[in-house]
Amino acid sequence: MRRVAVAGAGMTAFGEHFGLGIKDLVPMAVSEMAAHVDKGLDRADIQAAWFGELTTTDGFPTGILADTCGLLDIPVTRVENACATGNDAVRNATFAVASGAFDVVLVVGADKVRESSARATFWEWAGLTRDMAWDYPLGLVAPANFALHVARYLHESPATREHLAMVAVKNHRHAVPNPKAQLRYEITVEQALNAPVVVEPFRLFDCTPQSDGAAALLLVAEDVVDRYTDRPVWVRGVGLGLDRVMHQHKRDMTTFPPTVKAARAAYAMAGLGPADIDVAEVHDCFTGVELISYEDLGFAERFGAHKLIEDGTTAIGGSKPVNPSGGLKAKGHPPGATGVAQCVELFEQLRGEAANQVDGARTALAHNIGGPTAVSAITILSSDRG
Amino acid sequence: MVKLAGLGTYLPPWGSARGRVAGPDEDALTLGVAAARAALTAAGLASSDGSADVETAAAVGVRRVVFVTRELPLLVGGNAAALLAGIGLAADVAVVEQVGGAPAVLDALAGAAPGTLVVAADAPQAGQPAGAAAALVGPDDTAGPAGGVGVELVGRVVRSLPVHSQAFGEPAIRDYSDARLERERGVGVAVERLELAEKPVVAAGLAAKQAAALCAGSPPALPTLGASSALFAIAALHELGSGGVVLATEQASATAVRVDGPPAAVRRDEPAPLAPEKATRTPGPDIAISLPAYERAFDAKLRWEAGRCDACGTLALPPRRRCLSCGSEAGWTLAPLPRSGEVYTTVTVHVPVPGMPTPYSLAIVELDGGVDVRALVKVTGAKPGTARIGDRGRLVLRRVAVRSGVPDYGYALFPNTPAQSVAGEAATGTTEGAAR
Repeated sequence: MRRVAVAGAGMTAFGEHFGLGIKDLVPMAVSEMAAHVDKGLDRADIQAAWFGELTTTDGFPTGILADTCGLLDIPVTRVENACATGNDAVRNATFAVASGAFDVVLVVGADKVRESSARATFWEWAGLTRDMAWDYPLGLVAPANFALHVARYLHESPATREHLAMVAVKNHRHAVPNPKAQLRYEITVEQALNAPVVVEPFRLFDCTPQSDGAAALLLVAEDVVDRYTDRPVWVRGVGLGLDRVMHQHKRDMTTFPPTVKAARAAYAMAGLGPADIDVAEVHDCFTGVELISYEDLGFAERFGAHKLIEDGTTAIGGSKPVNPSGGLKAKGHPPGATGVAQCVELFEQLRGEAANQVDGARTALAHNIGGPTAVSAITILSSDRG
Repeated sequence: MVKLAGLGTYLPPWGSARGRVAGPDEDALTLGVAAARAALTAAGLASSDGSADVETAAAVGVRRVVFVTRELPLLVGGNAAALLAGIGLAADVAVVEQVGGAPAVLDALAGAAPGTLVVAADAPQAGQPAGAAAALVGPDDTAGPAGGVGVELVGRVVRSLPVHSQAFGEPAIRDYSDARLERERGVGVAVERLELAEKPVVAAGLAAKQAAALCAGSPPALPTLGASSALFAIAALHELGSGGVVLATEQASATAVRVDGPPAAVRRDEPAPLAPEKATRTPGPDIAISLPAYERAFDAKLRWEAGRCDACGTLALPPRRRCLSCGSEAGWTLAPLPRSGEVYTTVTVHVPVPGMPTPYSLAIVELDGGVDVRALVKVTGAKPGTARIGDRGRLVLRRVAVRSGVPDYGYALFPNTPAQSVAGEAATGTTEGAAR
């Protein structure tokens, strides 16, 4: 397979974009990406596109991408893989370039969660991931979906609700300098612990906000990368993992096997391990998920995640900063865009251009987990060609 | 003369000594199912751990169910299949869905053929007490405890004085609001015309004071006033330790039966009452239902049965084509699941969810008996947030949701708490005074 590089990256700010539709956000992200390609991008060079979107706001997704971005003459494929959609779109596009089928492709992720009324959103989105007869009527809202795991994790591990709060505090702090982040303010552990309960054990600040937004990447083959940039970021590894779709069939709920499987695949492809990761964007839709993911990604030993948040290892300035962008927690989480936007952040980190720069970062990991905690997608990027 | 092989009662765990109220996940059907299962257990047709014993019940010949209530969950669409599945009876048992009160229940009982299960449930609107009771009529040679007590019709008076009424299509009950009229020209005249040779020992359908005035001695107070009160009255003879005339009234009608001794086989599923939860109700769009998915899941979901792999015997809940263990796709057969288990993990939803009262707790329960089956269920019968990992409880039929107008029944975890009597221990509950 050929080496694949990221030659350009861009995204809209994440937030409640009531004034912008999906037909605005998608071209905005693509244009920002195109404007930031070091040596410029002629759109006619783009040979194919992959579009990660969970919901179909305003209808037919691939057509909307082609139509709104002036790309009517190329094939566009929609990727939908729950909250792992973004990194799975990157993964599919990577294979298309690596295979030799295309030299220059576009990856876009987008979603508009706030297009529905807050009341309608819950049941609309639940229908995407629940068994219609057995799970759907229980009211297994998205936070509960993950809280079932975190409640058991808190029961078995030394981690406490204070550790969850510390994750929220860290990611809020990281988001402050990020102009694209949705929640750019600091909070305290006390605020997090005393916030209204959403789904016990999660309080308000343990949860991602509902967001709209879009993000775009330009992936190119090694053969043509020089046309676009002299400072590419290489896609070193991609991986995807799945699990049983019903919570009652997951044996050990203190871990997310999809993450373990996706990480194994991505590390193997990259020829790298967890120790090689200098910075990571980890799927912190809920604070406890970030903690469990430290272990699933190999950053911490089993039930040792709390130590990393206690001693600052995963804060900016620590030895393995996680979510310098603010993460889903504070940057925001338009699901289809989330994984792509993680790669936008890491592209900037690895080129030394990030708003919240991790000094000397050379290798980075982006991680999603989603659906009924049954799918994970991971991308490993590096400034080293490998 | 019919022989009572078993009596069962059920009271919702919400309310006070003045009366119980149905929980947000209960309706006349779930109340009736709980009472019916208690009756079958009392009759020795279901094991005391509550595990389904469908074959036994069918084998001894439960051939007909008469379900009497004024709160049928579905007026169009049918309640019979859910009732049979919840009780654990075969789908070829005849079901009569009858709108009626306490006299109708005694009428149904006194005229019942052997093998009839009379189920009476009250799930009325706010202000009226909820509860259910059931009685199994055994064959004449019933070899149950005490051989089955005999019940015989004494008299019946059917009259009209609709001081409480609800016409078809009307949203609520109208009250004429004349208590003296109701007492004197309603119940009073009805009882007079019965010309009872002896005073009743217990009277159903009446407030405690009014019942006491009509009865010999001091009759036990009954927890409900509607259909189920007639069977609560017969069950009360167990505690009274005697037989006698049982009177059931409703507005201007009355039926009296003579019970020839104290019923021995009585089982009360009457947990101690908790103050009703203050729930937040958030309006929203109808919760969607797929009727094909409903139909496919129905038997396993309402009978609490797993799919047992025909190749290796592994149980799967819900049943599934490909075995969780051996991967066989050869087929599966429904198999009863244990109705008790331990909480593996639990969470409590506080955020408002449209169409569902909040807060509510969800739990993943590891079922007992080494079956290696977990279930994701709602928690019922306990204050939200009080169930903990490691807590034990039993699985009971509840109305999990109402989806586009259709009641969606399934099982919920009823945690065992020291304060509440564990159903399964016969006749441990205490009868409470009626609400008015």
